[in-house]
Amino acid sequence: MSTDTDHDDIRGVFGVDFRTADRLYQGTLVASAAMFFVLIMFPIYWMLQSSLKTREARRAVSWVPSAETFTLEHYDVLLGTDVGLYLFNSAVVTLGTIICVVAVSLVAGYGLARLNFGHKENFARFLLFGYMFSPIVLGLPLYLIWKEIGLLNTRVGLIIALTAISMPFSVWLMWKYIQTIPEAMEESAWVAGASRWESFRDIIVPQTQPAIIAAALFAFALAWNDFTFAQILLPRNEATTFAPGIFRLINQGYGAPWGDALAASMLTTVPPLLFAYFLQSYLLKGFQIRSL
Amino acid sequence: MASETLEGGETPGLSLDRLPVSSETLLGIATILPVILLYLVISIIPVGFAVWASFHEIPLLNPQWTWVGLGNYAEVLGSLPAFVDALSTEGLSALSQGGFWESLVRGVLFMVGSTLVQLVVGLWMALTLNRIAHGQRIITAVVFTSYLIPTIVVTLLALFMFDTFYGVFHVIGSEWLSIWGPNDFALGQKDLAMPLVVLIGSWKFSVFITIFTLAQLRSIPERFYEAAKVCGANKWEMFRDVTLPRIQGVILVAVLLRSIFMFNKFDLIWTLTQGGPGYATTTLPVLAYREAFEASNYGVSNAMAVVMFLFLALGGITYFKMFNPGDEVET
Repeated sequence: MSTDTDHDDIRGVFGVDFRTADRLYQGTLVASAAMFFVLIMFPIYWMLQSSLKTREARRAVSWVPSAETFTLEHYDVLLGTDVGLYLFNSAVVTLGTIICVVAVSLVAGYGLARLNFGHKENFARFLLFGYMFSPIVLGLPLYLIWKEIGLLNTRVGLIIALTAISMPFSVWLMWKYIQTIPEAMEESAWVAGASRWESFRDIIVPQTQPAIIAAALFAFALAWNDFTFAQILLPRNEATTFAPGIFRLINQGYGAPWGDALAASMLTTVPPLLFAYFLQSYLLKGFQIRSL
Repeated sequence: MASETLEGGETPGLSLDRLPVSSETLLGIATILPVILLYLVISIIPVGFAVWASFHEIPLLNPQWTWVGLGNYAEVLGSLPAFVDALSTEGLSALSQGGFWESLVRGVLFMVGSTLVQLVVGLWMALTLNRIAHGQRIITAVVFTSYLIPTIVVTLLALFMFDTFYGVFHVIGSEWLSIWGPNDFALGQKDLAMPLVVLIGSWKFSVFITIFTLAQLRSIPERFYEAAKVCGANKWEMFRDVTLPRIQGVILVAVLLRSIFMFNKFDLIWTLTQGGPGYATTTLPVLAYREAFEASNYGVSNAMAVVMFLFLALGGITYFKMFNPGDEVET
């Protein structure tokens, strides 16, 4: 789709007739889909098959573990090692962040969309400026503040930080999404005697479900992903989450424990895969709003 | 953005209560209060702290701060003549240095390169996913997964696959394609490190553009295409006249966000190369981190961060002035 042909006499793309153009288009489509599938699946497949091989088998590049080299021993990392703890911490932090982000942004989004008060657009615009400061800049002062008020090395401290980081985006998402819900629905509830809180709970919350799931998925991606904040705010090993934990493990000493690292990485890949499969339509619906 | 601004501001004649502020204003502010508080603690105070610190000389392990005024800024920005000099005599190889301007140029190259790759691939993926007839759900899930996978997993996988002992990419690159030697670690090559970091990052982040665009594509009614078909439009004309105008706005926003995120990207580069080899992948955030923790020069590091923010803010405002993404989306 790069050239603009002379469309007065030749109607198809590249000057070919419609039927050929259509076939070409379908072919390109299938080829593209196959290519993206392979490009993205290959590393994941490689991670899976490598995590199921013995250390010796990993030394030679091969496509599948053979019967002799197949092993599940690397998945023992979950039990009783630091890696299992890292994964648990990550899960707690991610869940906490999702809950906080959804609650805070839903309420704020409702306020911005439905209540009139001065400077609210300026406020929303100002929020986005937060993204212009690199996490690396915010992290260090935060370290000192957290140390002062005793939130250092706590999961709550990290949850607060990550909630704040993913918030500007989710507040915008909710704000814009709630605007697409007709105000008359709420008004009729008020006429029927419902309070503002009841109309919010019974009308806005159910209607905003796609945006809630989209915001939750983005909070998930952010918290499940986070390396910088966790690295700075959770210096003690027993409180740390997966990303900095596994990085320290790989970097300490020679002979990196690749088998364990790959098995653990595989486990952190499964929840994203499940979310992406089951929640994709919600995710897309959440973004199907006019002005984000 | 234009239509909502009408809602803002006071509505005269509605304030029956005698309070100086209406109850609606109070309630409204109450709803955004948690956001304000969080923002204050996580952004405003740390940023203020960073600005304050940038005026001091701070050895990291020593609590003694010495006021140096704009000294750190002079140190950061003052190396420009030397950089211009080096650039004119040595050309692009002058970029291997660890100075502020060198890192800025490297950072901009990284940002522009990443954003371009991600835009092209992301758009292509969205257009493909939107029209694919079979296995749409599975392929969409696979594509989305790459965005939801933690960066550290992407990093570990890359390090594993490029490893000189076990790596499948290493074998492909050295034995099949002869891009690098049999004992060379690809990410440790000066010429290859930056392009590889861009590609590895794009593997993960292209999908950000895909998600935005795909959502928008799904909202285009099918009848638009049917109408275009009746009028005899070909695929390219349909794309140009139906699809593109609809997704233009969302692309502009996504590109802005992606550029900001890539300019500030730290974890990906740090975990892949630690800014190396030498300074080959040291962008500004990495330089600021190295300045704080390797050179133990927290004041200078903060001055860099503040300048970085100013560049970004300037770039962001220019982008808004040029393209006005907010307006474009309002269709």
